[in-house]
Amino acid sequence: MRIAVVGKGGAGKSVVAGTMARLLARGGDKVLALDSDPIPGLAISLGLGPLDTPMLLDAVEKDDNGRWRLKKGIGAARAVQRYSLVGPDGVRLLQFGKTTASGLKDFMGSVNGFYQVVHRLARDDSLSGWTIVGDLPAGPRQTAFDWVPYADKLVLVVEPTWQSILTARRIARISRQRSGVEVVAFGNKLREDGDTDLIEERLGERLGGSLPFDPLVAEADAHGKALIDHAPDSPAVHAIEHLIDAISRRKVSA
Amino acid sequence: MKIAVAGKGGVGKTTISGTLARHLARTGMPVIALDCDTNPMLGVSLGVGPEETDRLGTVRQGLDTGEVEHQPTTQGIVETFGTDAPDGVRLVVVSRIDNIDPG
Repeated sequence: MRIAVVGKGGAGKSVVAGTMARLLARGGDKVLALDSDPIPGLAISLGLGPLDTPMLLDAVEKDDNGRWRLKKGIGAARAVQRYSLVGPDGVRLLQFGKTTASGLKDFMGSVNGFYQVVHRLARDDSLSGWTIVGDLPAGPRQTAFDWVPYADKLVLVVEPTWQSILTARRIARISRQRSGVEVVAFGNKLREDGDTDLIEERLGERLGGSLPFDPLVAEADAHGKALIDHAPDSPAVHAIEHLIDAISRRKVSA
Repeated sequence: MKIAVAGKGGVGKTTISGTLARHLARTGMPVIALDCDTNPMLGVSLGVGPEETDRLGTVRQGLDTGEVEHQPTTQGIVETFGTDAPDGVRLVVVSRIDNIDPG
């Protein structure tokens, strides 16, 4: 299963992605978590704490035309094996990282390397048994610009607000312009009885699951901790278990 | 006065920008609200309406269709590609990603 988590800013993508990754790893999967946001946040939701490191700087070099490429002998599997960071429950994390004082120039090597790795993930036989969970930046940009070629499932995290729904609708429409991706809408921060209907009606999609507003989510983030470590028995964690059940048709538990 | 509003997703950039623009317009200032997000939502918080915001023309699309002559001045861009929002705010959306990149 190869999942990408998308939606508007603040919808809860990283928490959903990080918690899914941990739960799937506990269920016995080999899990690769991907953070392609230049303001990385997935590491926190995975339980690694804040982490800005650009991970693929050593994996890339410039060719004769000055374009970044993966070094000889480095394919997707090797990049994962050598440059990812192993976190709690054995989840491996690969991220863009964040631009630093050393400047955008170096950072771009990591970004370009990342793009090339994600394009090889689905084609690399030695990674065929892996579960992938990608956490995307806000909005439709990366979905539109082919940053998630690996995904067979797109989890659309959506709040019951117009801005969130319009964004989700746009991403769903764009993703369906490519074939072979199943879109699963997941409602987040639901507060009132009618919120599910409201989202479904305005979004034009049925929700594959939903999560009530849970203050423990913000509390975990305030402590810089993974939700699954801070509040393993919270309604949010259980809702994410159900989401995995729904999209993979199998049971996991915290 | 030229204000840029920045921050992480979901913190409230759009709500603050839209409300600020409306407030300033009510004091009598001419206000241009510029939405530079490729997922533009400023119309929602300005009060243009969600579905209307989703359909707004953008500068980029306006130039791409070639139906309108390119506007060499800022004022021309604001007049040609902008939309009227409540309290006299003029909303200009730079671009919106609606489709997969053909490249």
